[in-house]
Amino acid sequence: MEVAGLCVAQAVVRSYPASEVGVASPRVLVVCGPGNNGGDGLVAARHLLFMGYDPEIYYPKRTPKDIYKILVAQCEKLNVRFLTELPSAPDIDRDYHVIVDAIFGFSFKGAVRSPFDTVLATLVQCSTPIASVDVPSGWDVENGDPNGTGLKPDTLVSLTAPKTCSQLFTGRHHYLGLRMVPRELASQYKLDLPPYPGTDQIVRL
Amino acid sequence: MFLASVRNYFSLTGRRLIARRLSSSRIGTSFRLFLLAVSCHSQPLSGTTLRVSANNRTLIEAHRRLMTDSGSERGRRYLGQEEAREFDNSLFNDYKFSIDQLMEVAGLCVAQAVVRSYPASEVGVASPRVLVVCGPGNNGGDGLVAARHLLFMGYDPEIYYPKRTPKDIYKILVAQCEKLNVRFLTELPSAPDIDRDYHVIVDAIFGFSFKGAVRSPFDTVLATLVQCSTPIASVDVPSGWDVENGDPNGTGLKPDTLVSLTAPKTCSQLFTGRHHYLGLRMVPRELASQYKLDLPPYPGTDQIVRL
Repeated sequence: MEVAGLCVAQAVVRSYPASEVGVASPRVLVVCGPGNNGGDGLVAARHLLFMGYDPEIYYPKRTPKDIYKILVAQCEKLNVRFLTELPSAPDIDRDYHVIVDAIFGFSFKGAVRSPFDTVLATLVQCSTPIASVDVPSGWDVENGDPNGTGLKPDTLVSLTAPKTCSQLFTGRHHYLGLRMVPRELASQYKLDLPPYPGTDQIVRL
Repeated sequence: MFLASVRNYFSLTGRRLIARRLSSSRIGTSFRLFLLAVSCHSQPLSGTTLRVSANNRTLIEAHRRLMTDSGSERGRRYLGQEEAREFDNSLFNDYKFSIDQLMEVAGLCVAQAVVRSYPASEVGVASPRVLVVCGPGNNGGDGLVAARHLLFMGYDPEIYYPKRTPKDIYKILVAQCEKLNVRFLTELPSAPDIDRDYHVIVDAIFGFSFKGAVRSPFDTVLATLVQCSTPIASVDVPSGWDVENGDPNGTGLKPDTLVSLTAPKTCSQLFTGRHHYLGLRMVPRELASQYKLDLPPYPGTDQIVRL
């Protein structure tokens, strides 16, 4: 989770460098779901802070596991603001430069449960670019977004290996991160993973 | 009184004279340092052009850092031993970081620094072989993480981990390396064998907590490593060095690369190797201010920065 969140933060900074955004500390709204995808988001928020960005977190449904509690505590100690409610789409567009979608990951199945149905409905209306963690939230992990009504992320950060639905991703920036894949495992799954440049933890796909 | 008169004597001309004398190989290191100390005491070297050999340039650089930092108004940039301990405790107690998080990022930084300092293209093989020597504490844990990341970056690490503190965190890191088929040596090879078989040594034996005598088996381990010509990359503090005073007898490890973590420790001012990196950029701004650390900015998304 620590390395995953670091990769997400790096991908966000690479896709939306401060120089292009036009402010010293781009403001990032990190929307975290109840599971590990949300945990990745909490880690990413912290690394974004250390990279000079200005993250704020919306984390409405908190699974009471130690790992998430400690990640929340770390962000709080660093004075990262936790929003009590999700702003409207116009307000998000006014106040943030990037949205990190850390709601649902590869385990997502079935219907989107409250409050995330309304969260996704709001995010879909935003013009602020969205960077999704591993799987665009609300998409079917294999079939994507056949109705075209779901999130349209501008950036996708696939972790370990791209998921099937990432073939249907049409945004500008697709990164692969979490390069800690044992060679044996990659072979076992017949994954033809691209090489990572040098010491980089993410690679553009 | 003595220093004042000496200072007056060592005008610009005087310093040029010193430079010529410094270049002489017949002068011992300690006398060279003395000459430097005296000549540089009141005036920074920046206004002086000294033509000195590369050897002496490193001494001058080390001394320049000492002189600039001790009187600097930009703030201290080095942590002493007790401060490093308090700083670390603050990361855990005040900022709620967990040991495994910090260790994971620390090890990643060490691996990145090794790859940057010794790129495969320069080493001349596809997978440079790295001997990672791990001590019994957290410095050793950083080494175990670094070994794993080196593997993922295409290098070929092997680990010597003779004294294993029975904590879960170390056990899991060992298990991860074992599952990835990273070889654990049962004994440390001789210095000639190390030089024959490895391209880089990662010194992850002792860190900023180190104090007192070096206990077995690390006394013999260090004695072997000192004889190696293979470049050594030390994690945070060159093992065996006094965390503040360094290696005054000159008998300890002479690492080629030093990877300082969070903030450089006092003894790093005496580091004379080629590559000094700072890593573990996860230092809260408040904490950096509290310790008057004037940490350099990290470029972009990099997790390490050259000092």
